[in-house]
Amino acid sequence: MTDTQWPRFQVFHQEQPDRPHTNVGAVHAPDAELALQNARDVFVRRPDCVSLWVAPADQIFSLTAEEIARSGVPPTSTAEGELQPYLVFIKRSQVGSHEHAGAVSATSGPTAVAEAASRFGKAEALVWWVVPERMIHRSEADQVGSLFGPAKDKPYRDQAFYHTTTLMRRIRGRPREEA
Amino acid sequence: MKAELRESLANYLIALGDDELILAHRDSEWAGHAPILEEDIAFANLALDELGHASAWYRLAAELLDEDPDRHPDQLVFWRPAAEFRNVRMVELPNGDWAFSMLRQYLFDASEQVRLSGLAHSEHPGLAQAAVKIRTEELYHLRHTSAWVRRLGLGTQQSNRKMQAALDLLHPNALQLFAESVSELELAQAGLVPRFDGLLSAWVALVTGDLTGCNLRIPDGISSKPAGRHEHTPHLELLVTEMQEVARLEAGAAW
Repeated sequence: MTDTQWPRFQVFHQEQPDRPHTNVGAVHAPDAELALQNARDVFVRRPDCVSLWVAPADQIFSLTAEEIARSGVPPTSTAEGELQPYLVFIKRSQVGSHEHAGAVSATSGPTAVAEAASRFGKAEALVWWVVPERMIHRSEADQVGSLFGPAKDKPYRDQAFYHTTTLMRRIRGRPREEA
Repeated sequence: MKAELRESLANYLIALGDDELILAHRDSEWAGHAPILEEDIAFANLALDELGHASAWYRLAAELLDEDPDRHPDQLVFWRPAAEFRNVRMVELPNGDWAFSMLRQYLFDASEQVRLSGLAHSEHPGLAQAAVKIRTEELYHLRHTSAWVRRLGLGTQQSNRKMQAALDLLHPNALQLFAESVSELELAQAGLVPRFDGLLSAWVALVTGDLTGCNLRIPDGISSKPAGRHEHTPHLELLVTEMQEVARLEAGAAW
């Protein structure tokens, strides 16, 4: 069956300037520019966010710890493509998300994972994601106010702003602390 | 500030608030119906932003009128008859298709950009401050809607045709955003609001550049004098009735 959806983009957000970008989910969009805007609307409605990245899902090369255990780390020397920077994201726990770990130079996805494994260590890594840096579309510093400001100062966008929740709890006869 | 001027400025702000409120209501009607899930959420966000801006203008108006800024906005929204709303007709028109709604939002966002840039220099400090803050949010709106206008205008023959039909209907109506009133002239002379003619030419330059770059033709009609803000289509009455329905079930209910 043909997929009639728009292409999928993985979304990474950064909560504080000193924290790594973390995968929060995916959006569909016709292109990277709109993917960034959709990401803002879908994932930055309430929480703090200072920066957003989107990457086309089909440009992300993924390798799991099981795959590496089965077939080993890919050889680093398969020089097919051009040497280019890849961003590395590592998922370290089953409940955790992919977190930005750093960048490596490589000629392909598999060699980027190999490079990353030697650089950042295999321990605790459950899933590796590597994506060519040029495929990543980022929010710019001058967009921070317009992209992320409204979520902060519009309390009525948060359901906790509406007292009906507390009223419902009272109706049910439950003290607030138990909720 | 003289009492007359205060009242004129309050009315000016209520008209701006009405534009935002009615457009927010129309935008919110897309919730659950937009063509794509992501865009559904985006449009709901735009609606919430416009609602926040309406609230900001109504609060400023309430202060000028010596009314309670917490309560008066509700009074204006839920207890005013439709005939007393001062929004432009463009925002009260039914949503139509996606092209129509997107283009309307774009034309409105562009008008906000030029108006807010002017209001940021208002002699009224509270107004200037609010304009600066709202303008930051509107930058995102304009980026989002102009990205869509570009894609629909330059997309397929069908999307271009739908955009052109929407533009033919909306453009003459949009000019009402800049209709001059006597009190507005006095406010401009006092340095409280920007001159309407400057706004109009800045808006025309902005949207004409964008739209012609998207293979869209600007309809004639700049010369015709738009009607005042007290004239409405029958659509407003229906919208306001629905908007006020719950509030009017029980006056003074706490919620």
